[in-house]
Amino acid sequence: MSRGPLLFKDIDTPGLAGLETYRGLGGYEALAATLGGRSPGECIEIVKASGLRGRGGAGFPAGLKWSFVPKNSPRPKYIVCNADESEPGTFKDRELMVLNPHLLVEGMILAGYAIGSNQGYIYFRGEFAYVQKIMDRAIAEARSAGLLGESVLGTPFQFQLHTHLGAGAYICGEETALLSSLEGFRGQPRLKPPFPAVEGLYASPTVVNNVETLMNVPHILKHGAQWYRQWGTEKSAGTKVLSVSGPVKRPGNYEIPLGLPLRTLIESPEYCGGMRDGLEVKGVIPGGSSVPVLPASLLDTGLDYESMNAAGTFLGSGGVIVIDDQTCMVDALWNLLRFYAHESCGKCTPCREGTYWMVQILERIEQGGGTERDIDLLGDIADNILGKSFCALGDAAAMPVQGMLKHFRAEFEYHVKHKRCLVNRRRQSVLEVVA
Amino acid sequence: MNHAPIMPLEAPGTREWPEHVLAEVAGAISRYPVKRSAVLPLLWIAQRTWGWLPPAALSLVARTLELDEPFVFGVATFYTMFNLKPVGRHHLQVCMTLSCSLMGADRLFKHLEHRLGIGHGETTPDGRFTLRRVECLAACGGGPCMQVDLDYHENLDEAKVDALLETLE
Amino acid sequence: MSAPVRVTIDDRTIEVPAGTLITEAARAAGIHVPVFCSHDKLQPLGACRICVVEVGTPKLGADRKPVVGPDGRAEIAWMPKVQTSCTMPVSEGMVVRTTSDTATRARKGVMEFLLVNHPLDCPVCDEGGECQLQDLAFAFGQDFSRMESNKRTFDSEDLGPIVKKEANRCIVCMRCVRYCDEVMGEDALTAHQRGVRTEISSFDRQPLACEQCGNCVEVCPVGALTALPYRFKARPWDLRQHITICPWCANGCSVRLGVRGMEILRARGTEFRGVNQEFLCARGRFGYEYVNAPDRLTSPLVRQGGSLQPATFDAAVAEVAARLRDIAAAHGPGSVAILGGERLNVEEQYLLQKLARGVLGTNNVDARTRLTTRVPGAAILKATGGGRPALTFGGLYEAQETLVLFDDLQGESPFAQATAIRGRHQQGGHLTVAHARRVKLARTKFGADWLGLAPGSELALLHALTKSALDLGDPVDLPAEVAAGLGALRSALAAWTAERITAETGVPAAKVAAAAKRLRDAERKALLFGRAVAENPQAPALLQAIENLAWATGALTASRSFVMYAGPQSDSQGALDMGLSPDCLPGYVPVGDAAGRAAFEKSWGRTLPSGPGLSAPEILDAAAAGTVRALWIVGDHWLASAPDRAKAEQALARAEFVVVNEMFLTATAQQAHVVFPVAAFAEKDGAVTNCERRVQRAPRSLAPRRGTKPDWEILQLVAQALGADWRYRTSEDVYRELARLVPGYAQTSWATLLPDGVAWSATRVAGSLAYHEGAGPAAGDGLWLLAGGTLFAQGSLSARSATLAKLGRGPRAFLGAADAARLGLAAGDSVELAGPAGTLVLPFEQDDCVPANAVFVPYALAGDGLGRLGAPSGAGLRVKVRRVTATATVGA
Ligand SMILES: Cc1cc2nc3c(=O)[nH]c(=O)nc-3n(C[C@H](O)[C@H](O)[C@H](O)COP(=O)(O)O)c2cc1C
Ligand code: SF4
Ligand code: FES
Repeated sequence: MSRGPLLFKDIDTPGLAGLETYRGLGGYEALAATLGGRSPGECIEIVKASGLRGRGGAGFPAGLKWSFVPKNSPRPKYIVCNADESEPGTFKDRELMVLNPHLLVEGMILAGYAIGSNQGYIYFRGEFAYVQKIMDRAIAEARSAGLLGESVLGTPFQFQLHTHLGAGAYICGEETALLSSLEGFRGQPRLKPPFPAVEGLYASPTVVNNVETLMNVPHILKHGAQWYRQWGTEKSAGTKVLSVSGPVKRPGNYEIPLGLPLRTLIESPEYCGGMRDGLEVKGVIPGGSSVPVLPASLLDTGLDYESMNAAGTFLGSGGVIVIDDQTCMVDALWNLLRFYAHESCGKCTPCREGTYWMVQILERIEQGGGTERDIDLLGDIADNILGKSFCALGDAAAMPVQGMLKHFRAEFEYHVKHKRCLVNRRRQSVLEVVA
Repeated sequence: MNHAPIMPLEAPGTREWPEHVLAEVAGAISRYPVKRSAVLPLLWIAQRTWGWLPPAALSLVARTLELDEPFVFGVATFYTMFNLKPVGRHHLQVCMTLSCSLMGADRLFKHLEHRLGIGHGETTPDGRFTLRRVECLAACGGGPCMQVDLDYHENLDEAKVDALLETLE
Repeated sequence: MSAPVRVTIDDRTIEVPAGTLITEAARAAGIHVPVFCSHDKLQPLGACRICVVEVGTPKLGADRKPVVGPDGRAEIAWMPKVQTSCTMPVSEGMVVRTTSDTATRARKGVMEFLLVNHPLDCPVCDEGGECQLQDLAFAFGQDFSRMESNKRTFDSEDLGPIVKKEANRCIVCMRCVRYCDEVMGEDALTAHQRGVRTEISSFDRQPLACEQCGNCVEVCPVGALTALPYRFKARPWDLRQHITICPWCANGCSVRLGVRGMEILRARGTEFRGVNQEFLCARGRFGYEYVNAPDRLTSPLVRQGGSLQPATFDAAVAEVAARLRDIAAAHGPGSVAILGGERLNVEEQYLLQKLARGVLGTNNVDARTRLTTRVPGAAILKATGGGRPALTFGGLYEAQETLVLFDDLQGESPFAQATAIRGRHQQGGHLTVAHARRVKLARTKFGADWLGLAPGSELALLHALTKSALDLGDPVDLPAEVAAGLGALRSALAAWTAERITAETGVPAAKVAAAAKRLRDAERKALLFGRAVAENPQAPALLQAIENLAWATGALTASRSFVMYAGPQSDSQGALDMGLSPDCLPGYVPVGDAAGRAAFEKSWGRTLPSGPGLSAPEILDAAAAGTVRALWIVGDHWLASAPDRAKAEQALARAEFVVVNEMFLTATAQQAHVVFPVAAFAEKDGAVTNCERRVQRAPRSLAPRRGTKPDWEILQLVAQALGADWRYRTSEDVYRELARLVPGYAQTSWATLLPDGVAWSATRVAGSLAYHEGAGPAAGDGLWLLAGGTLFAQGSLSARSATLAKLGRGPRAFLGAADAARLGLAAGDSVELAGPAGTLVLPFEQDDCVPANAVFVPYALAGDGLGRLGAPSGAGLRVKVRRVTATATVGA
């Protein structure tokens, strides 16, 4: 049974990670067709027309980004795949790469061809050493089959592809930090502008795209823009892989047509099949931990960029974290803020100091020492970070706070008033173990 | 609690690359137009070779890439996966971020602490395990999860963890 | 230059060049935007976020033209977020609000964040009173803290002998790390960890392995890095702060001394003044300590019955006047000679030669005591374009191609080195370094091309470069008198074939040719030379060869290309300008030029000697031979600086009368008949001329040590005792007189020299092209002796500054690994160097920057003097080196 209409269509085919099987299912046909008869400019136009938007989080139109690369720069150009997959709640790129590595290789070659680049790098988060091995194997296979190297498929187009392993830093998912890291520096973000498309890796024009974004490219170039638009909405075209986690019956990756209602994803037997153990949904973080939470009352919101924005949150990276009614939201937020404080790169003041401070306050509230004033202070700090940090990690730490205070303030107030949680399933279970 | 280092702080032989990794080192450098880019790959090779990164290994990486030593030190400490202190033979890294936490990661971690008699960042006296809390591993759908050395283990509970530990020497 | 754009900042509209950062534009408009991480000398970072402002740009219509609102003004589209003004360049029509509610609220938020983990320990912090965080907290902070939890803490640590670190106070602006990298090229500091645990430290927390410049302390806006030598000594408001000029090299950095009572407690950069602004090297920052030394001379000394006895100034002056008069009367004025004075200020230098010529009647005066051969007083000026503007630091920063000839800038010109590094880092300039040793600037990390020439082949390399440059075609725009020599030069250089170049210089001919081509092709080029050329035994030929090269590559003709001479001492340039040479009056007037002399004769009221006097090496010979009978040595430890120590000892023993002006009782002073105790640089007023030929005021910062006088007063007392009608009330009176007589200094006065000095240029000597074959490298065996300056040790004074002495680590000889192995040297051993005239035993240290077959001994680390080995003959000196065991040297 197919797990999705496009990227997940054949994904469970045994041996798909091997070149032969991949080719048997039509793999590298897009590449052959493109190199055989399409100009780079045409490729960019097709991707533009498809409406494909970046799947790494920001949702920036992929074709448009490619078109920013200067045509006649004397410097080499680079295509870099962001396989950092570091946004909490997101685990799609890992599965996609492990099961279908050649799709990414093909996507990178095509993207390289479109922007005039002869060199690509795939940047993995450090924990993905085993994924790197799988990709390296696919790259080696592709190289021996003449799909990579001096002459791709016998054409004058040459393309080299290498993998690069990070070493444990969420911030390296941010594209300029990723480039710093790839250049051998501490993985800290850089000033924008200049944007990477103009001055990226080694100060050369560089396109950074997410794994899923690049994996859509072969399909689009093979079947055309209109074909891709059969899924999704006008502004959010195509499919999106959503990673669902939390106490649902069947967590995992689901490829949905954009616009599918959140409730369908969580409740339909075709997808997650509802909550387990008789739990209820209290809230859902729909786009990775960095976006504001949605209360259960907004479950009917469509999973597309525009509907999510209208509901005050973002589709982001598609990491859907389902929070049950037995979970203490103060504890949940404290957990998330620990993540951001741990991952703040330390470059800019608001994020470095603000995330630490918010953790201290949340700890105080959670442990019964908080006051009403602390709740306002929390909101103030988030406000002082939002839009004032160097990169979007600061915003990513501030938005969950704002979302929680907007929808679940009552739980925080209960906490400071009664010095305990309204609900807390996990703390109890922990206590059992300790006892 | 703290345990004596497993290896002497100046691990023997870290002044030069051992013969068997020379090709790998050269290969890593050849992948980039700028030598400095190879700093993470070389740190990884060093860590694989010696289990951790003693100062001499950092100097070696600096020398190999014609970088200044402090620069390499700054890079190595920025990332969480480089061990600047010796670690046990197996590195248990339990994800504690929200999705895993919702599924019982805190409880699992307590269990491990209890069973191994060590806390976060510590190593068992026999040098077999180092235990760490880590942030999201990108395996949220399989929470609670844990990375043991390079391998992922998902949908864990106390019994599964106990069985897993048995298989690790 | 970019086209100007109009921006409006807080309702003030100004025009600035496009690309100007908002912070700079605001400064130009007189509006202060606070900054922490931003620093004039560093690339923008935008990390601290304190400088945030609101920014709007004109709304553009469909026609890409600004939309005009109902009030007739361009409508403004405000950016949704506040922007960092330190990173954002202005654009046409931009509107900036620095104090709007939004901007102020954001800045207050940042201020509050900065204090979240700050310990607020101002009462025990050395930065207190001059801390930017403290100042801003007063301006923007609130008087209560909303941070009630535990703060993140770090341990404090000492990063070597200079830098104390209190990481809890750090605001992670990264200025120190960036300065260390971008300006100093050291990369000794780095950030450890990340996030709130980010901590500035060194490699593995070891002592900083660097130049110990302390600039990290200087640029730290808070008290996270403080200077250990100054720790807990004073509060800034207890100090008198005086800006003067650093005495340690020809770069002429401005230094801000902190003085309490009669003691200098610290030296700092000056932030917005001087060539250097915040920069100082270790010498500039810690070298002042000798001024406070307890063993300074505080009374004149007069020899009585074989020993030096304290005397009054009156008695000492009378003795000097009487003895000089007698000797000159008995043996003629030529029996008297004056040596030294390179470190004096220009007023004193002027008086020193005036005393020689106008009072004693002799041209036997030479400041350059290290010379082994006679070098015309105008030769250096001629090599740098005859008075054409010299290369400035600004020009060096901008240069696309810089050629450093034979000096290790780290020791000789630390600020020039920093400027070259910053230029390379921020402007992408390229460096070519010609030096026998692989000096710091020649490291690959600066992208430099290193021409590692064979010792003694300096002249050959210059010929080779010039030949290669001329092979690319005739240079353009040569003045006629220069062009006249082109044909002859070409034919003489024809002998320099590629094979010969490679063989004689040890540098592949192709590499030489590439360097010449780079220099010729670059639009903005910079050529630097200094002590290694000026004091080389072949100096006259080298100077002509440098001039040849400069003309051949366009370094003297292209509009933004220049040559710099950075002499060995703080006022080496002034000494030349003021005529402290036997053949030139002040302003490079040849002593034989009757018309030129007349102006001085008129002013000084007597006829002047017209025949050239003896140069320093000639004075040495003459004194040793007994024909020069009276010597006056000014501010120079001659026994250490004279090229042949044995001969100098003989000269001092033989001379009938020796006067020494000194701060300390050096071995030279001990041989004198009269010693005058003099004031230190900070204790006297005057002007000095740096390597940009910038004449700068060096104002007095504290009163002279009791019992001492500035040199100029002593010179005047003696002149008066000799009957001269000198009536200078202050050294400014001297300056007025010299400014009247010396072209280049004309139009200047003390008042015009503040705050930034005046760089003089005035064509004084005509250029030429000429070829001198020169002596090839000396034959014979033994290792080449490479001498030179080093950072921590300079002259005889650095040993009197405790911090420098600690950093310099005492006398040493450096050899490369191969020679060390061949000689069986191990750590702890010493080596004996044997030259034609004597031997020297020094502790050995291995240094792989020293080429094979050579030994490097920094002048100031040569124990009692390289001159012990004897004067070098031909090009360079060879010495026999052998190992002496550590025990054998004890007591040697
Ligand atoms: C803090 C932070 C973390 C990010 N992490 C990731 C990531 O793990 N993977 C990813 O593809 N994009 C991540 N991004 C987004 C990237 O910066 C970038 O927008 C993306 O890689 C562009 O690819 P796309 O246009 O194909 O989405 C992150 C952004 C921020 C600010
Ligand atoms: S917001 Fe600032 S501290 Fe946080 S990750 Fe970005 S640059 Fe680093
Ligand atoms: S001064 Fe602008 S961000 Fe620091």
